[in-house]
Amino acid sequence: MTALLEVERLSVAFGGLAALSEVCLTLAEGTVTAVIGPNGAGKTTLLNAITGYVRPQSGRVIIEGRAVTGLPPFAIARRGLRRTFQNGGAFNDMSVLENILLGADKALRSPFFGILFGFPGARRAERQAVAEARAMLARAGIRGLEETRARELSFGQQRLVEISRALLSRPRILLLDEPAVGLSESEREELRQRLRGLAGEGIAVLLVEHVVDLVMAVSDRVLVLNSGQVLAAGTPLEVRSDPAVLEAYLGSA
Amino acid sequence: MNGVSPAAKAAQKPAPKAGRVLRWKNAGLFAVLVLLALPPFFVDDYIQFILDLILVYVMVSVGFNIVLGYAGQLAFANAAFFGLGAYAMALCLGRFHWPFAAALVTAAGVGGGAGLLVSLPALRLRAYYLAIVTLAFGELLRWGYVHASSLTHGSAGLAVPAAGVFGLHFATDRARYWLFLVLVALTLWGSANLLRSRFGRSLAAVRDNEAAAAAIGVSPALAKIGAFSWSGSIVALGGAMYALLLGRISPESFGLSQLLLHFSIVMIGGLGSLLGSVLGAVILTAAPELLRDIPGLEEILFGVLLIAVLLFMPKGVAGVLGRFSLLRERLYLS
Repeated sequence: MTALLEVERLSVAFGGLAALSEVCLTLAEGTVTAVIGPNGAGKTTLLNAITGYVRPQSGRVIIEGRAVTGLPPFAIARRGLRRTFQNGGAFNDMSVLENILLGADKALRSPFFGILFGFPGARRAERQAVAEARAMLARAGIRGLEETRARELSFGQQRLVEISRALLSRPRILLLDEPAVGLSESEREELRQRLRGLAGEGIAVLLVEHVVDLVMAVSDRVLVLNSGQVLAAGTPLEVRSDPAVLEAYLGSA
Repeated sequence: MNGVSPAAKAAQKPAPKAGRVLRWKNAGLFAVLVLLALPPFFVDDYIQFILDLILVYVMVSVGFNIVLGYAGQLAFANAAFFGLGAYAMALCLGRFHWPFAAALVTAAGVGGGAGLLVSLPALRLRAYYLAIVTLAFGELLRWGYVHASSLTHGSAGLAVPAAGVFGLHFATDRARYWLFLVLVALTLWGSANLLRSRFGRSLAAVRDNEAAAAAIGVSPALAKIGAFSWSGSIVALGGAMYALLLGRISPESFGLSQLLLHFSIVMIGGLGSLLGSVLGAVILTAAPELLRDIPGLEEILFGVLLIAVLLFMPKGVAGVLGRFSLLRERLYLS
């Protein structure tokens, strides 16, 4: 298994306050890794530091052997990494179809003038992207909402749109921030199957999650954060029986 | 992961045959263009001038809408781009004696360059700050027109000689109308193509949610630079048309009242709608002429329209039409 994403001793501080200290993490091809921890443990900060939204104080983020630390978010995304946001990564005033098409856009290589003058090649590429986007919508079970504005969707549907958009760009690495919030029992089970399916396609999945049942059922590895530090890391079984984890997190849950 | 609701199922339609729909649409657009080419054969000189002016303002508001409506940038450098285009045209023709086509390309290029320049503060500044900086840019240019008098003749202004290309001479408002119609049609067509492509989607994505746009690999900076340059060159072309139409330009034409007119057209027509800009330009250019005999009514109409739109139809005239979903799909109102 090749490591697609490596996080080396990453530290983040907000105004002198340590939000993350010396966090290490490796995401291998075809695996699901979960980050859990109590509120304020630094889970989302870790995600933001990896993806360039927060500048780390020290440490390195390496994607497929190349350091991306300090690059802007869009440049990191272009290395084959996609993420979702905890509260709303949807483009509210755009239609659902446009929202998802944005995921295909980086693969559309039609030249500027081909698009400007509506050359057949550019039109064909666009039609193909639309077909792919529709298929992705169908796969997510939100067919028939193509022309709906994203702001009119339910919270759960918006998250599905966001994940579908991310998947349409065929990422090598997928980071999900609390994808199970607000999902029903059966929807969680579908999410679990979907995540395993993605890992089966070779994607390295990282999820930040509160729902412990889901994490234990879906993950190959679990990283437990507490006050910005790694409390424990290992397989779900190892983490579940770790006394420090029981004390700090699971015990109090 | 959700089940498909019955309503959603009902909404599913078989995908139309793309090729055939496109052919009909193109045929329809071509027919409209042919109809629009006919008025010069019927109308009198006064109406002809108004029709020319409408086309100028269609150009200007389409350009402004790209920055204001599609990219969502509160930037008010539009009168500046407009003035630069007009002065570029006047200088290239009157002083440098360049061929007409070269003057036109230069005007668009100058506008694009100015757009690029204005986009740089837009990368850092938000909302009100950007609005102030861009307003200042426009006023600075106006000061420049007045004081660079060796080039611009200061407040007295510049004469713009009539011009021609390929043996066609645009010396009358009738001839200019056809020229303007071709320029506007090409601009609308190209802009619609770009806006419906990945470029347009990137712009809207950055407008709606900059963080999420970056997360899918869209560079917010590049999207803004592109939008401003594209907008600037279109608006400057509008300015060049304006200079040709009036035959004389002076600094006072490119101040705040000009900007207010552009802004009103875009807002009343509809933010983020190309057709809205066309309708807005028609309404706000024609209406004052109809009311010309009653002093003061023009300003009142302006104010009332703007207030009414902002209060009751935030998406403008196009937004009201767009409520009929069929129209929306057919005409790209949204």
